[in-house]
Amino acid sequence: MSRQHLVSILVVAAVAMATGFLVAGQIKVQLLTPSNQVARYQALVRSVQDLEATNAASRRQIAALRSQIDALEAAAAQRSAATQALQSQVADLRAHAGLTVLRGPGVRVDIANGIPGPDQGGQTGYLVNFQDVQDITNLLFAQGAEGVSVSGRRITPLSAFAGSAGQVVIDQGPPITSPIKVLAIGDRNRMEAALNDPSAMPDIRAREVQFQLGLTFGGSPDMVLPAYDSSLEVPHVVTG
Amino acid sequence: MSSRARPRASRRAIGIWVIALMVAVVATIQIRSQAEVVRSLVGTDTTSLAFLIDDLHRANDSLDAETAALTQRQTTLATGSNSAADQVLTDEANRLRAAEGLVPVHGPGVVMVVDAVGLQALDLQDALNNLAVGGAEAVAVNDQRVVLGVPIQQTSSGVNIGGVLVPPPWTISTVGDANRLAQAADLMTQQMRSDRRVRQATYRVEADLAIRAVVSERPFVYGVGP
Repeated sequence: MSRQHLVSILVVAAVAMATGFLVAGQIKVQLLTPSNQVARYQALVRSVQDLEATNAASRRQIAALRSQIDALEAAAAQRSAATQALQSQVADLRAHAGLTVLRGPGVRVDIANGIPGPDQGGQTGYLVNFQDVQDITNLLFAQGAEGVSVSGRRITPLSAFAGSAGQVVIDQGPPITSPIKVLAIGDRNRMEAALNDPSAMPDIRAREVQFQLGLTFGGSPDMVLPAYDSSLEVPHVVTG
Repeated sequence: MSSRARPRASRRAIGIWVIALMVAVVATIQIRSQAEVVRSLVGTDTTSLAFLIDDLHRANDSLDAETAALTQRQTTLATGSNSAADQVLTDEANRLRAAEGLVPVHGPGVVMVVDAVGLQALDLQDALNNLAVGGAEAVAVNDQRVVLGVPIQQTSSGVNIGGVLVPPPWTISTVGDANRLAQAADLMTQQMRSDRRVRQATYRVEADLAIRAVVSERPFVYGVGP
């Protein structure tokens, strides 16, 4: 090997090494911020997961307690006519508040995320949001629905809808996401006619066209709505 | 000599090219992984996650309170006394009648007054939902009691609640946690005042606000219990 050849190889190696250090340094600097972001993001996600697990456990416990209370009330009602009359009143009130399972004919509405438009950077119109669920629920109640559930969560007279794009929070439950299934018991024909009305739910209709938001519905002769499994306390209200 | 040196030189050249190729591949993988991490964060709104955590904390506190109340009721019922059972059932009936809007109620709360031209049923539904999120336990609009399930509909004459026309100005009376309701009302009135249709949007906090209006009972026609 000639001396000149050896020198040229050493020069190439030195340049390659310098480039390697520069590239590695640059990548390290750039990785620093995202690494922190990832750690923070993961910590937030872990918190959400822990809180959701606690939430689910509490709701199971509430359902179990309500079932035990039902049994104790039924036992007390066996011993007294007055207690039996009271129990009957409370059972009717609980049914109307959504605290018990309800079955009957009705409609099922499915709503799903659409497709983001090509020029819609940052816009979230293709995602199902809480106002969509609120609008569907209000429409069904306006058409005489006697009970409504949203993806397994029963709606009560005090229910509230919240959330950010793509996530729907109902009362004290965890967020639910697309596809979302709304069940309503009541007059199927009336509810289906309202859902077919092109002037109803104008925002959803517009996004069906713009983002292919998915909205489908159909009647069923027999559906079952779950009982509400969260808090229905009214601590600040005094009757009378 | 030159015929022996040429293969050795070409082997070296190949070696350098292989190393260069490996460096390029590793660098590409590293940079693509980096891009992947960044891309996964682009769609994630950490602020929304923080709000979600706050909401879940509040929700879990409410669930804890409900669990405590139910446990108390269960303990009372477990004594086997019928008078205790009657008291538990009477309290439960009163609570449910209040939640369902079947009886007059009073308590701390907020009164909002919104005067506007052209507001629709959807606007009122949104406002009532915001107050429900803010902890409303009883609501009336222009002395019409509202719970979720009472139809709020748009007609040619204006907005109807349960079949009764409620022309503006809307006086929205809400009983519940006055602090939370005031925060919600403050945000809502600020937003409303930026709406050109709204002439006036104000609220006041009241220590004891009475809601006399009630919802009519509606028996089930289609639904049957368990």
